[in-house]
Amino acid sequence: MTVMTRALLTPVLRTLPWRALAGGGATALLLAGIPRMLSGAPDPWLGLISLRGAALALALGLAFLLDDPARHITSAVPVRRPLRVGLRVALALPGAALCWTAAVFLVPEEARPPVGALTLEAIATAVFALASAALIIQRSTATEPGVAVSTGLLSTAAAAFLLLPDGWALLVSPDDPRWTDTHERWAMLLTVALAVGTRACVEPLRAWRLGSFRGRAQQAAPL
Amino acid sequence: MSTVLETPARAVEPAHPSRSWAPVFALARFEARELRMTIPLFGLSILYVAWIVWDTTQRQGDYPILQDVDRATPGMPLLIGLAVMLGVNRAVLRSRRCDTDRHFDVLVVEPWRRTVAHALSIVPAVLFTAVCVLVQFIWAALKPGAAGHGSPAELAVGPLTVLLFGMLGVLLARLFRSVFAAPVILVLLLFGMLFVAPSSGSNWTSWLGPVVTESGSNPLPSDLLERPAAWHALYLVGLGLTLAVLAVLVSGGRTTVVKAAIAGSVALTVVGVVGQSAGTPAGSTPARDRATNAPEKVQTCLKRGGSTYCAFPEWTGRTADWAEVVDRVQNLAGGSAGGERLTVRQRIDATYGLTSDTLISPSTTPGQVTVGTSWGGNRVPEFAAAVASVLVAGNEKAGSSVCDARMVTIMWLALGGESDPMTALRNVRLDDSVSGSAIVLSPTESMSMSAEQTRIVVELLKKPRYSVAGKVKAKWTELTSPRTTTARVAELLGVPAADKSAAKAEADGDSCAE
Repeated sequence: MTVMTRALLTPVLRTLPWRALAGGGATALLLAGIPRMLSGAPDPWLGLISLRGAALALALGLAFLLDDPARHITSAVPVRRPLRVGLRVALALPGAALCWTAAVFLVPEEARPPVGALTLEAIATAVFALASAALIIQRSTATEPGVAVSTGLLSTAAAAFLLLPDGWALLVSPDDPRWTDTHERWAMLLTVALAVGTRACVEPLRAWRLGSFRGRAQQAAPL
Repeated sequence: MSTVLETPARAVEPAHPSRSWAPVFALARFEARELRMTIPLFGLSILYVAWIVWDTTQRQGDYPILQDVDRATPGMPLLIGLAVMLGVNRAVLRSRRCDTDRHFDVLVVEPWRRTVAHALSIVPAVLFTAVCVLVQFIWAALKPGAAGHGSPAELAVGPLTVLLFGMLGVLLARLFRSVFAAPVILVLLLFGMLFVAPSSGSNWTSWLGPVVTESGSNPLPSDLLERPAAWHALYLVGLGLTLAVLAVLVSGGRTTVVKAAIAGSVALTVVGVVGQSAGTPAGSTPARDRATNAPEKVQTCLKRGGSTYCAFPEWTGRTADWAEVVDRVQNLAGGSAGGERLTVRQRIDATYGLTSDTLISPSTTPGQVTVGTSWGGNRVPEFAAAVASVLVAGNEKAGSSVCDARMVTIMWLALGGESDPMTALRNVRLDDSVSGSAIVLSPTESMSMSAEQTRIVVELLKKPRYSVAGKVKAKWTELTSPRTTTARVAELLGVPAADKSAAKAEADGDSCAE
């Protein structure tokens, strides 16, 4: 298996969607750097918003991680899906972690929200994106789920920001009494996303697919 | 589907390059259907409709102020706009993703016409949003308690936001040939909007964002809002058109019409920006001053029963609701208070516009009760408490500083006639409790009631109304005297005394020491 992994390393590294990942990372750093660029006293609210923006941008980048135009061709390799997905995630992980750490340190210390809680939010968002991508790949014939996942992620984030009722709120500020409860919900979300993601990484045994009709629609689409 | 088959058939006649717009419209229709079927837009549309139903059927929305309702409509269209933007962006880039770009080179529909078709495919989504916004507004306006006037320009903001986001999606797809660009730029835009322009409306940059919400706790008459809503709508139209024409220009449409259109739309945008940059005045205007300091000059007064009700013109329909509460409270009062001619006057503090949150000072005019601009829910028992305090203490200023046993009488008058007095008591107290001491809200300054007074009021509210009403009317003079102690009030009204230590502590508290 290790030989196989080593053999896979270079091709997978080459097929990673580098532009999307780099774009996501750069946006995250840009957003996190904004409080430092603005003049005036550091504002904790601004720090929180910019870190949340950075987390979202990073997750958007990671949503494209499983995009592989050659997926149907390489599906015949004698390596199971968990390893292929795991390898991609493992290759992107150090970069993402580094980027997040840099983003956290970019926010001035006086304006920095609790780092642990924000990291939990960032991880949950990223895992949510990855799990959705894995699920789409497992359940459809799509090779590049990134666009769909990023659209869904943005819509979900905006809807969560605007619509969640008070009792279910996810995005609150640290001085809110619901801060701890909210982060219990984030942890729950992370657990669910991890479970779904892990489940979605296994090879599907039955050919139950969402994308059969969508694939047909796409063939008919071009004019 | 038929369009797919038709177009190649036309393409075989290169001698007459078809200048007809029919294929463009056909493509727009097809793309509109595709857009409608994308999962995020479909899901969000259903969510939007559900939210409208939920939001409008809420009980606190029973007395909507229409100039606030119209301003609250563009929240959800922002979400729809987001989904439309990403959806249309994906649709424009579909041919690239599927590698069919080169097949289109043989068709009569040039790239810039295809861009026009994509831009047109947004129109149904815009119309859908417009219908939703209209339904939301009309539903609120048809409620029996509705007051005020909506503004078409404010209502247009929602659909125009969808238009703007959609056009941005088309333009981004033509500028950046990557599906990744749109989400990232959208995130940057949304967060940039939060950073650069906090949507408070005081700054001219904040009016550059699509939606400028200004909300305060007290609704103002529509002529005091002073929001450049029409200029803002013009700005949004101009910006949306500019983005669309830019997208056409980028994809190769260089006809005179396109050039003229870009000049026109940029001019529209600039006019809009200049017009709206006056923004909302931060300070006072003569009209706001008049409404704040001399409301009698603009108000209409109506006589109902023995009392007079003075309201801003948009609220005159609500005087009947106020009269009902006044009558209910006055029926329970004894002595001369039962027949006193009250003046109920609507008062606001409009000096600092919508976002200010100032408390109105209690009036010192005898027999004058203040009522705010919002109604329904907690506002009803709060107003009843103010009426009761004026009946007991003579005027609002004196009523709000009552801290002795008269508070029991005030609270029983205010709540005794309610159909569900315990809930009303909970609502009117700041901490939503029915035991212990608490602050009691009123349209002007709040009052306070002690733990013992609360206990007596709760006991009284549990008794049948007629049994207490008789005692209150009979002992009215003693109950409304500042010298009567809480223990004496309890005795007069037939409430069992509390244990000694509590009564002792209460007797000390009766002196209004604080």
